[in-house]
Amino acid sequence: MTLFSKLQPARKLKFIWPGLDALAILAWGALLLRYWLNGQLKLLIHPNYFGLVLITSIILFLLGSLKGWLWFKQLRKQSIDSETVQHITLFPPGWGSSLLVITAIAGLFIPPTVFSSQVALQRGISESLPVTQIQAEAFRGTVKPEDRTLIEWIRTLNAYPEPDAYNGQKAKVTGFVVHSPILPKNYIFLSRFILTCCAVDAYPVGLPVKLEGDQKDYPPDIWLEVEAEMITETLAVDTQTMQKTPTQKRQLVLDAKSVKTIPTPADPYGYAQ
Amino acid sequence: MNQLHNAFTLFLSLLVEAFPFLLLGVLLSSALLLFIDERKLILTLPKNPFLAALAGSLIGFLFPVCECGNVPVARRFLMQGLPTSAAIGFLLAAPTINPIVVWSTWVAFRDQPEIVVFRVLFSLTIAITIGCIFSVQKDPTHLLQPFLAQRVSMLLSQPKWPRSSSKHSNQDVPVLLQSGTFLLNKSGTPLRLEGMADATATLPSIGSREFYRRLNIFIENVVNELRELGGMLILGSAIAASLQVFVPREIVLNLGQGTISSIMAMMLLAGVVSICSTVDSFFALSFASTFTTSSLLAFLVFGPMIDIKSVGLMLSIFRPRMIVYLFALAAQLTFILTLCHSYFF
Repeated sequence: MTLFSKLQPARKLKFIWPGLDALAILAWGALLLRYWLNGQLKLLIHPNYFGLVLITSIILFLLGSLKGWLWFKQLRKQSIDSETVQHITLFPPGWGSSLLVITAIAGLFIPPTVFSSQVALQRGISESLPVTQIQAEAFRGTVKPEDRTLIEWIRTLNAYPEPDAYNGQKAKVTGFVVHSPILPKNYIFLSRFILTCCAVDAYPVGLPVKLEGDQKDYPPDIWLEVEAEMITETLAVDTQTMQKTPTQKRQLVLDAKSVKTIPTPADPYGYAQ
Repeated sequence: MNQLHNAFTLFLSLLVEAFPFLLLGVLLSSALLLFIDERKLILTLPKNPFLAALAGSLIGFLFPVCECGNVPVARRFLMQGLPTSAAIGFLLAAPTINPIVVWSTWVAFRDQPEIVVFRVLFSLTIAITIGCIFSVQKDPTHLLQPFLAQRVSMLLSQPKWPRSSSKHSNQDVPVLLQSGTFLLNKSGTPLRLEGMADATATLPSIGSREFYRRLNIFIENVVNELRELGGMLILGSAIAASLQVFVPREIVLNLGQGTISSIMAMMLLAGVVSICSTVDSFFALSFASTFTTSSLLAFLVFGPMIDIKSVGLMLSIFRPRMIVYLFALAAQLTFILTLCHSYFF
């Protein structure tokens, strides 16, 4: 600090800001590359944009290195003669770059989380599913029912919502547990999130599972692999909107034959096409 | 703690999705700023107020700049004699009517392509309308900041688009014999005011020796914009993520499902949040499940035109009174158009 106070801090800082800019750009390049390498990108955005993130990180590395090189040259000349196109700044010097650096470092140290049942409930597991987002883009009647994932079941059900049509079919699906007060005690929702663009628009879909025991045996958020038979039940809940309905309604329900606890999968989300 | 972690994940998700688009916008705008000759562009613009406003609005396709970048560009345009209607059209529409913004809006709302169409349509309508309204004011100097006003009135008093021709003929005449407004620089040499305006705008012509200089300017500009817009994006994303996680759902739903309340709320949010237009569609996306489509449109149309940050920037061009007019007109038109949208669609 004494060095700074002796040598006109303002003037010294002027030399430091461009270095901070370069650091901010390099840090963001590193963060994006890290997400791309370790697969955490799929917790954040739709796979369609993975390539875009990789290209961005490469450009940021190039840009940061160039800026760093220019800064180094400037430091050796000890002059601030860089000319710019007329530019209006919004932040005090150093603020913008500091924000970028801090965020990138926080991102490097704190990994993104997998959304839990809490988010599912808050995000509107009780809210109507946007119908446009679950278009049955390929209705594959040839797929064996037990090969369908939970999301494929939801799509199929959206395309043809008559529960009786699936009666007796076998199912083997994975998802996380959501407890809902509108379901009877021996029921849970088996749920998964679907991403259209990024985690911001992740929305939960799910089906009710009828258990042999109590829902207490399966605490919220644990992941289950459920082998079940499709049955039709009458419940006072709309599985399409996951809201309590005034009258009992026929529903497609997974009648669990075997329930296995599994670790959280590496790709916990489904993606809209 | 868990909630905080969720909010942080949402925050990162917004940033990671938005960063490529922000970088692309910044790279393109910096490149075009260096390689497009603005003066030639202005000379080719039509004189009719309506057509000028339309052309001004569409220049955004050549200058893909968001609202922070377009104010300095509009300022240079005005200094070089762009008609006020075209300048206002550019100022209001360019942040939305440009390829990067259209693309990022489409990425965010792939399943609702009508949002992309209406965003462009409404922005264009509002920009042209306001551009035409201000073209009625024949003497724009009352609206501009004194320095700009002086410069523009000088251009108006000259015969007709004289810059390119008069500049050359004046070079042989001694400075003292030339007409016009002059300032003294530090060394005491007279500087022609018009020349000064050009000096802020023109960049050195392309030559092989110039390459490194140009590269330097290009990198400086990219880094500056990335820093400013990136900082803004971080603040905006933090607000969006916290609103999504910490505000009780009932409050958001009550506000977001009313036809008028949702539009008003989103316009207010757009004005406060000041997020860059290349990435504001991702911000809007976080409200897609709780707010009406019309209110999302209101956010996407109004935000790029007027917000706290752009008002600050516009003060470098317009007098405060003019900014109040612009704000009132843009807000009313956005409200009316999006209200119509909510009734008809």
